[in-house]
Amino acid sequence: MTAVATPRATSVDVGSAARWLLKPLGLVAFVGVLAYFVLGPLVRLQSKAFADGAAGYRTAFTADRIGRTIAYTIGLALGSLAIALVLGTLLAWAATRLPPKLRILRVVPVLPIVVPAIASVVGWAFLLSPRPGYLNATLRRLPWWSDLEEGPIDVYTMPWIVIITGIGLTAFVYLFVAAGFESISAEHLEAAQVAGSSPMGVFFRVTLPLLRPTLLYGGGVALLLGLGQFTGPLLLGRTAGIDVVTTEIYGDMTQTPVQYGSAAALGSTLLVFGVVVVGLQKFFLRDRKRFVTHGGKAFRSPGRPSKLAAVALLGYTFVATVLPVSALVVVSLSPFWSADIDFAGFTLDNFREIFDQSNVTDAIYNSVTISLLAVAISLPLGFVAASIILRGTRHRALRMAADFLVAIPLGVPAVLFGAGFLLTYTEGPFVLYGTRWVIVLVYVTLMLPFATRMQLSALVSLGEGYVEAARVSGSGVVGANVKVVLPLMRAALGGAAALMFVLLTHEFAASVLVRSSTTQVMGTVLFDYWGNGGYPLVAAIALVMSFVTAIGVVIAVMVGGSKALSSL
Amino acid sequence: MSHVSIQSMTMHFDGKPPTKAVDDLDLEIEEGEFLVLLGPSGCGKTTTLRCLAGLETPSAGRISFGPTTVFDAARRVNLSPDKRNIGMVFQSYALWPHMTVRKNIKYPLKARRIKEGLKGGWVEETAALVDCGVLLDRYPAQLSGGQQQRVALARGLVARPDLVLFDEPLSNLDARLRDQVRAEIHELHGRLGFTAVFVTHDQSEALALGDRLAIMRHGRIEQYDTPEHVFERPATEYVAAFIGMSNRLVCKRADNGWACSGQVLAGAPLQAAPLGGTVAVRLRSEDVDIHPGTATVPADRTTATATIVDSEYGGKTMDVVARLGDTRIFARIPSGDSGGFARRLTPGERVIISFRPTDAMLYEAEADRSADAEAVGEQTSDVPAQAVSV
Repeated sequence: MTAVATPRATSVDVGSAARWLLKPLGLVAFVGVLAYFVLGPLVRLQSKAFADGAAGYRTAFTADRIGRTIAYTIGLALGSLAIALVLGTLLAWAATRLPPKLRILRVVPVLPIVVPAIASVVGWAFLLSPRPGYLNATLRRLPWWSDLEEGPIDVYTMPWIVIITGIGLTAFVYLFVAAGFESISAEHLEAAQVAGSSPMGVFFRVTLPLLRPTLLYGGGVALLLGLGQFTGPLLLGRTAGIDVVTTEIYGDMTQTPVQYGSAAALGSTLLVFGVVVVGLQKFFLRDRKRFVTHGGKAFRSPGRPSKLAAVALLGYTFVATVLPVSALVVVSLSPFWSADIDFAGFTLDNFREIFDQSNVTDAIYNSVTISLLAVAISLPLGFVAASIILRGTRHRALRMAADFLVAIPLGVPAVLFGAGFLLTYTEGPFVLYGTRWVIVLVYVTLMLPFATRMQLSALVSLGEGYVEAARVSGSGVVGANVKVVLPLMRAALGGAAALMFVLLTHEFAASVLVRSSTTQVMGTVLFDYWGNGGYPLVAAIALVMSFVTAIGVVIAVMVGGSKALSSL
Repeated sequence: MSHVSIQSMTMHFDGKPPTKAVDDLDLEIEEGEFLVLLGPSGCGKTTTLRCLAGLETPSAGRISFGPTTVFDAARRVNLSPDKRNIGMVFQSYALWPHMTVRKNIKYPLKARRIKEGLKGGWVEETAALVDCGVLLDRYPAQLSGGQQQRVALARGLVARPDLVLFDEPLSNLDARLRDQVRAEIHELHGRLGFTAVFVTHDQSEALALGDRLAIMRHGRIEQYDTPEHVFERPATEYVAAFIGMSNRLVCKRADNGWACSGQVLAGAPLQAAPLGGTVAVRLRSEDVDIHPGTATVPADRTTATATIVDSEYGGKTMDVVARLGDTRIFARIPSGDSGGFARRLTPGERVIISFRPTDAMLYEAEADRSADAEAVGEQTSDVPAQAVSV
């Protein structure tokens, strides 16, 4: 991250494959296309919201429940952020104290990211529904709860939506903080120990302050994700009247006629939050140099290795992944969902049924092909964008524009993009609604930040030496990039492709708005079955979805080497 | 300040294969002494230092600082680094980038709650001592490498510790700065009189700084002596190779003297009375001279005929490579006048090489040249990769 933030390597020659693009005209055209993809939908939405004397804003902000909706949104974001920051940092700390033989456990907290959000939310519902939830049923066996008919936990309430969201976000925070720990050199901590600090003293006076940028950055990302949470509130909160901004937008978009204006106005609140969060991040992270520790040996925990660390990591994995997935497995094997598990009655009928239904198989096919296509388009776009950002000294304005444009999809909730794309591509000039191309376009746009950032950091860390060496040895621009840069970036590209494939096959929030009855993806089909109450089929689809994702990860690791997973 | 004692310390590293980084090591460091641990990478010198700091836990043995036992494997005593009264200077400086220079230097005083030092201006005093008084309110990232290492030095000394540990502190600096900071460390030690252990693989640093040198090999001490003795009387061939005696002539006893690569050495005889049939002769390149093939060489020198392979101009001196059978001889001779003999050496020319027997060190010849490979060949790899990339 730090390397990305200080693109001092402006003289780096690695982007030379895109040199023809850097001729100003091509450059302007490229940034223009980016702007059309990213900003076009948002601008169109705003123009709807401001039409008729800002009727959209009036409708949205005079509704009775707007105050409550915003309160729920902020509550969900801050609550889940608090859980994720504490748990994620503790887990990352635990990961540094693993005994050498258990180092492999460092990757397990990432598993919740591989399980689609919609699948794990459904899994939690199966566990914690007041009456038939498996965990509730188990808790009712305890003597002091034995008199209860239902409960003691109700997953369809605010606190539990916050907890479940927080557990999911923990994995993201863990990723950032674990990387932050890795980048602290051991000698800086040893120096503090030798200077007379106890291990606790070292943690609070040196480790934690050095982690500050990581915590701010990772916390900022988690906060944005929390603000944009859609799946959890939609599936768990909407029937109980717990609405957040994203689910209200969804409500507006699924009415007839579609309430574009009001949806856009609601979306503006999230845009404002996003800008504030990003602005604060930039402000607090302005002096990154102060936190970079150079040289010395790689991070080594000053504390002694501890088995407890392994217990903590496994405990989190059990709660965040094993529990919900097991619930899915049990329901998917049962004829119907009830609190009593009938092991004898387990059957694969549900899987047979979903594979017999063309809408489900079509959706799986669509998810995989559209995701692959979107990954294939985003990677080269991201490479060009990264090259512009890296060597854009001569075109400062365009470079800043590119930097800004590729960052937007990270700060804007996917639901809002879905709404914007639906609006943009049901009207002229390009009417794509109903085809798979509109989904491809949304996916490419959503992936721009990942495709660009990951390749940018790979290019920066590669430096200029290798390409210069290839060029003076007689390679042309293309040859140097193909023979030297691409092989060296293999792991980074594999990692980027894996991450994007995983995120896209999970995608639900934007898909649910731009899909049509004939063009479905896995997440949307699952959602339809959930609405119809076909729970065993829902569980089966959720498992298939997780399986497809897992295959994507395995392939990426095979292509990109084991480092691909750590860049996840 | 205190007397430091290491008794039969051993350190195993589990791994494939398991290694003994330190092997039954005994070391006594007098109060106020500046001890240099010298050796190629992997010889156990850094591990020894880290055991003194408490950053590594030895597998066996005993370490004490004055009357305090800080480590004793048998009695299960193991004081953590913060409980040992030490200062340490790291190779990568390890200044905390989120603190100003002042806070960095002040840290040991605060962590050890030395009120006297906090109130008594020890921070400013120490900073002034290393010429960093004006840098106190800057951040480490704003300093040059030499300045950073001076600040690290101040941080190591400020709390007036019993023992100051230096882990190759000069190897990240460029050549000119290295000499400068080295001189400053020497001066500071002379002025403050702290007890120090200094790890390096650079023999000139070792000679310049050490009151005594410990040359290490395979986790053991090969020679423990003053710089003069180590330099002039290396105890083993390994030490000789490491300390710069790069010429190695394997000589066999012949009927009429000693033969090297089939040629009987002429002139003054080697002084190898107690040794057996084969000896390894170690020589510095400065002690080898080259004469025209027809010259008469003074009688106090041992001679042999050789063939010039190459010669390099080095200003005041010429570096000449010659071949004596299959033995390569390195000689550093005065350049002399332009157009003189030394300047005109050409490859293939037959010459006479000579040296004084008193300059040569003779050792029981080892079967192979492992001493050389270990002592010299690995030196270049001793600088960690990170240090280069920074």
